[in-house]
Amino acid sequence: MTPFERDTLVSCLSKLPRGDARGFRFRAIDGTDRYYPFEALEREAKARAALLAGLGLRKGDRIALVIADPAEFVLSFLGAAIAGIVPVPIYPRASFKAKNAYVETVGHIVKASGAKALLIMEATKPVVEEVLAHDTGLSRLVILEELLQQPAAAFETPAIEPEDLCFLQFTSGSTSMPKGVMVTHRNLVENARAFLGPRGIDRRDEDVAVTWLPLYHDMGLIGFVLGTIVCNIPTVLMPTEAFGRRPNLWLETIHKYRGTITFAPNFAYGLATKRARDKDLEDLDLSCVRLAGCGAEPINARVMREFAERFARCGFKATALMPAYGMAESTLAITFHERDTPIMTDVVDAEKMKTGFAVKAAPGPNTLELVCCGHPFPKHELKVVDQQGHTLPQRRVGEIWSHGPSVTKGYYGNPEATAQAFTDGWLHTGDLGYMADGNLYVCGRLKDLIIIRGANHYPQDLEWAVAEVEGVRRDNAVAFSVMRDGEETLIIAAEGNSADAAALRKSIAAKVVETAGLTVGHVAVVKVGSLPKTSSGKVQRRRTKALFESGQLEEHPS
Amino acid sequence: MTRAELLQTFRSTASEISEKDMQSVTEAGVISELGIDSLELLEVIGSLERDLNVRIPDDQLVGIQTVGQLLNLVADKLPKAG
Repeated sequence: MTPFERDTLVSCLSKLPRGDARGFRFRAIDGTDRYYPFEALEREAKARAALLAGLGLRKGDRIALVIADPAEFVLSFLGAAIAGIVPVPIYPRASFKAKNAYVETVGHIVKASGAKALLIMEATKPVVEEVLAHDTGLSRLVILEELLQQPAAAFETPAIEPEDLCFLQFTSGSTSMPKGVMVTHRNLVENARAFLGPRGIDRRDEDVAVTWLPLYHDMGLIGFVLGTIVCNIPTVLMPTEAFGRRPNLWLETIHKYRGTITFAPNFAYGLATKRARDKDLEDLDLSCVRLAGCGAEPINARVMREFAERFARCGFKATALMPAYGMAESTLAITFHERDTPIMTDVVDAEKMKTGFAVKAAPGPNTLELVCCGHPFPKHELKVVDQQGHTLPQRRVGEIWSHGPSVTKGYYGNPEATAQAFTDGWLHTGDLGYMADGNLYVCGRLKDLIIIRGANHYPQDLEWAVAEVEGVRRDNAVAFSVMRDGEETLIIAAEGNSADAAALRKSIAAKVVETAGLTVGHVAVVKVGSLPKTSSGKVQRRRTKALFESGQLEEHPS
Repeated sequence: MTRAELLQTFRSTASEISEKDMQSVTEAGVISELGIDSLELLEVIGSLERDLNVRIPDDQLVGIQTVGQLLNLVADKLPKAG
């Protein structure tokens, strides 16, 4: 092994340039910022490593993190990594979501990860401490502010090897059965060097990365924290909540710090375009951006074009837009479109796509325009296979499989789920796509996952929530998504009486907002007993979706 | 700013951001039933913060269910009319 191949997150952190010219800048919602040169970032993280080890945590132990503040999160994560402790990031609670459901989710993740400790901040204690009452195996709740008051104990850093677990990424699985992807140091370093390397972003010394992406999710955490550490890229991080309150802040932050690299899901590009008023554009200079990546949810060519057109007057280059495809099971990135080239799309016959053939068509009605997601990185391979796992020819739709050093070892403590999704080093992504001229086009999903605004939602979670609505019974409601105007839209179909239909539509929609923060595109209330079911009485999601899409689902009139 | 004006500001802001008609929303209105999702609501709050020059920390939004409760929070931050 070359020294390069022996690198870990921790060794990369220690090799970052000294001095204060390069580092991480954390921009708070009030506009103030905290700047950590790389040297200070490592020093502070090392201090936390000692404090965490002082709690009795040892190499390989898991620690769950619920920390909303980006600076505190990053320092704590790195501290754990230096001590060999495996961080398990958990999303902080969104203000409007039900407290009990959140506590349950945290409990499930803590249990699945076997975390011994849960590290939180004082402000979240009233909500999160209830997790202790659940049967999770958790032995202690650690308040970060209190931990930082402890005197530093003598601490010897353990040796960290490339095959050691770096962290667990819980973005897969339903709420009740979350799956933690095991990301090793090697996975992380290989993936970061692939997507930031010459065939990907092609990092330059003058790059500045800017993000508001959540750090409990792979795109934010690996793309803009761990990856930028591995490849020595100064980074500006703002809280996701700041973008939520004021979407314009994203591009303003890029302007202010002369950002060159950013990434976001499709919806954010659409939102930024919609919210930018003419007068906002006058002082905005985006000529610094050389790469604006788009991933984590289906990419809509129209949204990309409109963004490029709207911000052209600010010096934004359309060729900076770069579609990408990836998932946590493959660390982060699987394919990138060729950088510095225009977005490519493929217009295909919508009818023939239903039978699995991507046949080129002239733009018009009954066609689909799909965005090219590019090709895999060096050392990585991709194939599209049929149900038997046989490689399909070009333009035939099948499941996308990925292979290479970024493919993770599977799900922590879940050999069944791992065996299903990983065979002979190949990751079965569960996504549908086809290859054309060496490029990947993603066109659907084999699994019943719903992805809206870059966030994954499992239909069973939504169905269970809906079943709590009065007048709806368990197994009498299904959640699925359809593409509408190029955007993934949530549909709920539920059985009910025609007299209650109007009230049901309203209460189901409200329930979904409460539990998942999502608006339902359409609630279909159908006659009791009319949803397609299996012989064991389970509602068939895909069959229901097919009926809905073909207009054959008979709804009570509104 | 009167309470009626505050409600009107909320209605206009929510309509603009959600692109839905929110003009008939009342203080008793349950936020989850308005037809706006959590991200849009956060943006509505961000917009109210800027227009009214107030700051509503995330922690204080926990448990807010009705439009009236949200407006109480905002009203508490506004300078009292002399």
